Amino acid sequence: MSTWKEKLAEQINPAWAEEIDVFETQLEQRRQGKLDEKIFAETRLRRGIYGQRYDNGQRHDGIRTQEIAYPSGSLTKGPDTAWDAPGMQRIKIPFGGMIPDQMEVLADMSEEYSDAILHVTTRQDFQLHFVHIDDTPDLMRRLAAVGITTREACGNSVRNVTACPLAGVCRDEAFDVTPYARAISRFLLGHPDAQNFGRKFKVAFSGCRDHACGLVSMHDMGAIAVTKNENGKEKRGFELYVGGGLGAVPHQAKLFDSFLAEEDLLPTAQAMARVFARLGEKNIRSRARIKFLVAKLGIDEFRRLVVEERETMPEDERWTDYLPDVPHDQEKAVREGQSLNGQARSEGFQQWYETNVYQQRQADYVVVTITLPLGDLSAWQMRGLADLARRFAGDNVRTTVEQNIVFRWVSESDLPDLFQELERVGLSEPGAGSIVDVTACPGTDTCKLGIASSRGLAAEIRTRLASQFMAMDESVRNLRIKISGCFNSCGQHHIADIGFYGTSRTISSRKVAHFQLVLGGKWTENAGSYGLAMGSVPAKRIPEVLERITQRYVKERTHGQSFQDFIRHIGKQELRNSLEDLMKVPAYEEDSTFYSDWGDPREFTMGDMGIGECAGEVVSVVDFDLAAAERLVFEAQIQLDEGDYSRADELAYSAMLQAAKALIKTEFLDVQDDPDILVEEFRRRFYETKLFHDKYAGGKFAHYLFRRYESPSQEHTREHVHTLVEEVQLFIEAAHACWERIAQRQVAAASASGPNAEQPVQ
Amino acid sequence: MELQRLGVKFFLHDSSQLKLGDLVPVFHSWIQKQLVEDHILVDVHNYSHVHEGPGILLVAHEGNFSIDLRDGRLGLFYYRKQPLDGALESRLKNIFRTTLQGVRLLENEPQLGKVQFKTDELLLVANDRLNAPNTEATFQLLEPELSRFFGQLLDGDDFTLTRQEDPKERFTVRVQAGHSQDTQALLDRLD
Repeated sequence: MSTWKEKLAEQINPAWAEEIDVFETQLEQRRQGKLDEKIFAETRLRRGIYGQRYDNGQRHDGIRTQEIAYPSGSLTKGPDTAWDAPGMQRIKIPFGGMIPDQMEVLADMSEEYSDAILHVTTRQDFQLHFVHIDDTPDLMRRLAAVGITTREACGNSVRNVTACPLAGVCRDEAFDVTPYARAISRFLLGHPDAQNFGRKFKVAFSGCRDHACGLVSMHDMGAIAVTKNENGKEKRGFELYVGGGLGAVPHQAKLFDSFLAEEDLLPTAQAMARVFARLGEKNIRSRARIKFLVAKLGIDEFRRLVVEERETMPEDERWTDYLPDVPHDQEKAVREGQSLNGQARSEGFQQWYETNVYQQRQADYVVVTITLPLGDLSAWQMRGLADLARRFAGDNVRTTVEQNIVFRWVSESDLPDLFQELERVGLSEPGAGSIVDVTACPGTDTCKLGIASSRGLAAEIRTRLASQFMAMDESVRNLRIKISGCFNSCGQHHIADIGFYGTSRTISSRKVAHFQLVLGGKWTENAGSYGLAMGSVPAKRIPEVLERITQRYVKERTHGQSFQDFIRHIGKQELRNSLEDLMKVPAYEEDSTFYSDWGDPREFTMGDMGIGECAGEVVSVVDFDLAAAERLVFEAQIQLDEGDYSRADELAYSAMLQAAKALIKTEFLDVQDDPDILVEEFRRRFYETKLFHDKYAGGKFAHYLFRRYESPSQEHTREHVHTLVEEVQLFIEAAHACWERIAQRQVAAASASGPNAEQPVQ
Repeated sequence: MELQRLGVKFFLHDSSQLKLGDLVPVFHSWIQKQLVEDHILVDVHNYSHVHEGPGILLVAHEGNFSIDLRDGRLGLFYYRKQPLDGALESRLKNIFRTTLQGVRLLENEPQLGKVQFKTDELLLVANDRLNAPNTEATFQLLEPELSRFFGQLLDGDDFTLTRQEDPKERFTVRVQAGHSQDTQALLDRLD
């Protein structure tokens, strides 16, 4: 056989085979310049192919920005994206479910087309990095041959449908959501009504309300299994939520229906997709998620439109044709369930058993969590797991949103043997779902949007905490840490007990990696509440911050007090005061380690920014004003916590105006404090000139100011003000970034003009 | 056989000689100084948290280098990603030249102290299950050409070629020679 296409022709679903052939043709068209780069970019995204860091052909090597002279020259696979640049392939795994044959092919793909590493994402997908686009059609064919598609893994489409990894075996669930997650995943894949969204659409399923499960509250559409008694018979349905999401500004989903009958699930999802496609924002990307449509229309009007749409849709037999099979949708164990009785146990077993084993509701069976450090495992480990799955778990393997893998339906009596085998493949780490099991998005390692090294920080925290794990107070052991490399929340920092997201600060004209500390989020109750940023801490101080907060929690918590209650009780002001010394950055000459990020020895500076006194002077003035804005938004948070929503709103708005003023003063020192003038000046000098625009988010953050200025809310609800505070944080971060860009330009201009050049206007 | 995606692993004399974390700044410096011939170096990735994984990875357009930890044995693994011109012998020469250049750079790197690679054992990997399935038939097909190549590279030293037989793994041949020679000597023979 000369090609994979020929070799696998009989094994691939013909429709999938054709789609991949079409994609291969589009790839060739683009190579020949016969397909527009923007169209090709969205085309490849819808096949799960993302750009990766440095794909614009430039990389700062710690000394200077080097051009990466790819042989493809000017050929691009999207705007500013070199054809030959390594990219990322995301692979959808609906509800995380996979079988050993699929695991083996995934392992082969990582070896032959990537770097022999499989990365589990926070949406139960896999990601392969450093993949060349020319390899992607064969990669897709080989996956398709074992029933895996990459279609709509990215792009403005229905993303991987996630579900609780315990579905079907959970002790508390109303019923197993797996068949419904599978059905909706298949139904919406490539559905014509789901092709014209302004942004992505994420769906999740949970079997119960109280646990974290599928994190329903942070999804565009989330379904919680519920039952009711109807004429003496149990009737299945869903508590359906819509309009949730993390992202830069998180939204809690709204209740759409307290009991949506199972037969109405698919048609309602389709009707929602149609309403979203028709009425959702298309031009302003940052307002295009369904959460903004729901907020704009109000949940009642949105519901009315969806119900009305549902009535107009032609019947589709796929809506219900899977339902008769649902009662028979049972997983099969490969071994007879037996209790754990007296078998010899090796060293380390007990600790692993306590954290990584969950008793199924089916007697003598357990779910085993295989902890993957940073969500990574190697190709040979994946093959090893496939072999172990065949022996101990059968086809009952799932990925989790905490970037781990679970084996379900393991006989309890097999645990000692399984543990030994996991030790052999280096995957017997204890601590699943604990403070050492840190979740992190790819961050600056590979993501184009990453600001700071989320994985570098996660690795450092894991290493430090792992050695202390057994000695830790149980209350601390059970905390969760989640880290994002930027404000976009791929690491789900909003719902962690302790979350971080990457930012940067300029200290004496050098950039320093920082992380915003986010406290008060709730993982349980399906992501029941979102935390708020407390302040920006230098990346290198984060381990100390963590130690200080957790030690205080152990010392001062009252019996049974949750971490969230403890934070509330202490108060953010007091907590921030206690961390104030850790927020400072020593001078470069005093300790240069602060000026590089975790796991990356390169200096954390933008390429060619000089170290001129002129920039230094200006920085101090603007930074002073921006710090004042940060203080104001922090005070807004305090008022929010204390329930004075009106005052919180006022302070948050003032913070945004203060940050805008800081920037305006770089051009117009005597600007007045009048909001009308500040907004007008900001609009003219920074928005219309696009100086404030983020490379990827455009003018999104400026809109937060304009919206608050133009439409101040008349009703100050907690949710509304919470959202405003989030927006203000992002506005201030954007102001920092904007100032850094301005300072670089000033330095460059000063250098170009020679030593006698004028100082920049303050 | 149109075999392109070949890889080579040279093992360290003593795995304890190298601290993985020390490789991160070294690989970054390779990028800063563009030290690898005919390679567009892209980035460094740290996989030291993965048990017996790729360790520290240096990504290049043409092929990747990694301090591979498989089976607990540290070594420099280079695998080609982009096609090369010429017959198999020429491609083998090219890939060995690049790998040995990497080996020499590490052996001469002051930040790493004195690390030494052995040449009496190495792995040749075909990262291509389509063109080189891990079968005896593939081995039989390639064995004469590989024998010729290693005969020249090892300058007449005795050696054996053994296929690693797990059919799920990539086609991998272990080359076992009578003596460990200087890496520079091997490199010189490739010219």
